[in-house]
Amino acid sequence: MEKAYLALAAALAVGLPAIATAWAQSRIGAAGAGTIAEKPELTGTVIIMLAIPETMVILGFVVAVIILAM
Amino acid sequence: MIARMVKVEIVGPGGRILEVLSLLRELGVFQIEHDSTAFIPAQDQDKVRSHILDEKTLAERIFYEELKARIDELFGCLPQLETRESYLDPGSVLESVTQTVQKHSATCREWSRKRETLQQELAELSRYRDFLRALEPHLEGLLLESGLEFIGVTIKEPDALEELMRVISRLTQNRYQILTAKGADDTLIALITLEKGVAQKVRAVLGEQHVPELTSPAALAAVPFSEKSAFLRQRVEQATAELVSIETEQAAFARRWGAIYGRVRSWLEVRLALLRNVAYLHQTGMCFFIHGWTPEQDLARLEQEAYRLFGGQVVVVKKQILEQDLDQVPVTLRNPPFFRPFELFARLLPLPRYASIDPTPFIAIGFPLFFGMILGDIGYGSILLAVALCLARRARSDTVRDAARILLVCSIYAIVFGIIYGEMFGELGTRLLGLKDGHLVERRHAIVPMLYFALSIGVAHVTLGLLLGVVTALKRKTGREALFKLVNIAVILGLAVLFLSLMEEVPRFLAMPLTITLLLLIPALFFSGGVLAPLELMKNVGNIISYARIMAIGLASVLLASVANDFAGMTGNIITGVLLALLFHVINLVLGVFSPAIHALRLHYVEFYSKFVVPGGKKFEPLKK
Repeated sequence: MEKAYLALAAALAVGLPAIATAWAQSRIGAAGAGTIAEKPELTGTVIIMLAIPETMVILGFVVAVIILAM
Repeated sequence: MIARMVKVEIVGPGGRILEVLSLLRELGVFQIEHDSTAFIPAQDQDKVRSHILDEKTLAERIFYEELKARIDELFGCLPQLETRESYLDPGSVLESVTQTVQKHSATCREWSRKRETLQQELAELSRYRDFLRALEPHLEGLLLESGLEFIGVTIKEPDALEELMRVISRLTQNRYQILTAKGADDTLIALITLEKGVAQKVRAVLGEQHVPELTSPAALAAVPFSEKSAFLRQRVEQATAELVSIETEQAAFARRWGAIYGRVRSWLEVRLALLRNVAYLHQTGMCFFIHGWTPEQDLARLEQEAYRLFGGQVVVVKKQILEQDLDQVPVTLRNPPFFRPFELFARLLPLPRYASIDPTPFIAIGFPLFFGMILGDIGYGSILLAVALCLARRARSDTVRDAARILLVCSIYAIVFGIIYGEMFGELGTRLLGLKDGHLVERRHAIVPMLYFALSIGVAHVTLGLLLGVVTALKRKTGREALFKLVNIAVILGLAVLFLSLMEEVPRFLAMPLTITLLLLIPALFFSGGVLAPLELMKNVGNIISYARIMAIGLASVLLASVANDFAGMTGNIITGVLLALLFHVINLVLGVFSPAIHALRLHYVEFYSKFVVPGGKKFEPLKK
């Protein structure tokens, strides 16, 4: 039973930040596409903005690995 | 790296100003500073004034601008054709060109007007031809005698036809005939035949119902309906011939005069560029002053050329760059050939300031390394290597060639890490080629060690970024910022060793002194970074954890490759299996190029650059041809 709880915790640790990242990226991506259409010189900045929320899911993944390694 | 620039003042007699500007343009190594307040000492400000064009030069500039505008207008009316090169001296033919350009412009404008009218008419005739072509097979047996009216309409919604017939039927007491056919764009074309008396009423109803009537082109208006088709063909042939004749005349004219006008226009552009730059210069009663910037390595050439052409009359003076000038100094990147393609990444972001550090050499080393660590597969790496070699050989644009070179380096790193991980198309290499015994790390199972490895890379990379930040801060003479970054480095390294000590990877007794040291560093942290210092420190720690993506994305890539191989085995049919495996591997390869590239780039842009790059540098834009 404990294993099942650990697996659930790991899944939540990755899944919830993944949903949050996806939502944030969808908003930033749409705005970024508009920005690049008007000012192509801001491509680099848009890539940075788009990649920032990914940290959430990466941290979630690290937490999940730690949970499963327990 | 950022090329060292020199602040330069060029001084010479007023009469030679255009010759000097011409030399600077020829050399292409000098940028005129538009805001040259910092160049003129305060005590001399009242003696030096902005250069004002004399009446003759001003008249010359206006004349050149008008002539260029006329030639531009002429070229606007002509087709873009390859013309021979003209070797005429533009200065000697300027007067003749001024006289002929107006006459030629009028002729070309007339050709353009006629051409446009003919093209419009042909488009209209073509639309009407489609209408007639669609209905032609049905016209046999239709009463085309005079006394009847013909109305052509296009119906976009098929359902509207029924309603239309009902209304026409009511208006004409059923005395009408309608023929329908499908048009070229799948709309319904209809020809309504009715008595002339009710035609007006029907037209009014069509207008109310927004059914567009296909009006006959002006050339066919007076032609009876039965003869329209033949007349249309005749008119199309005639208009096409006229159009061809005009285009031939235009092409002949462009070939005959294009080269001469083109040469004069280029000459005018050069003269106008020089005259426009005169506005940014300064003068005293006798001399002119040009203030600007040149790369240090080009200064000697500039001095030699100035001496060779003007003797001692024109002097190039090197001035000291003061602290307040630093934000004004333009930036140009000059890197060794191996690093140069990676300037592509630097160009995606604003340029770093002059007293900052060019991140190109660091991204040139770090980017392929991270890419290789994430992808790490001999098979995928070899395919990318082949693609990169093909691209590098066939690329025509510099950007594509740079991208190919970057891909080439990245693919080599991917192969090297593939050997370390023992991966070739996932675990296929381990199975088929016996790589199992040769590899150093098996990524699929060594998840936690790979995580530690990725975090170690993060500590090293972020610490390097902070060290470079210290250098930048010292260069910009912001001592407190340098101290803050040093304290951050100490805290990060302290935390890392403390973590290892708690994990018993290093002796446990180090934990207590390290904790005390970290506590002692807290006041220094607040002193150097202010109240937001802990937040900045947490950001740095977060940045290090972000490097876990090297392990995470790499793991995802290798697991996808395994899925591809497993799917192939599950089909039970060798051909289907191979095809499925190929499909999955292609998808994984595409992901394997984009994902590591984006993440390696992000690790540099967000985690690394933010520590030392000060954006906002002005691009070095020298006067050039």
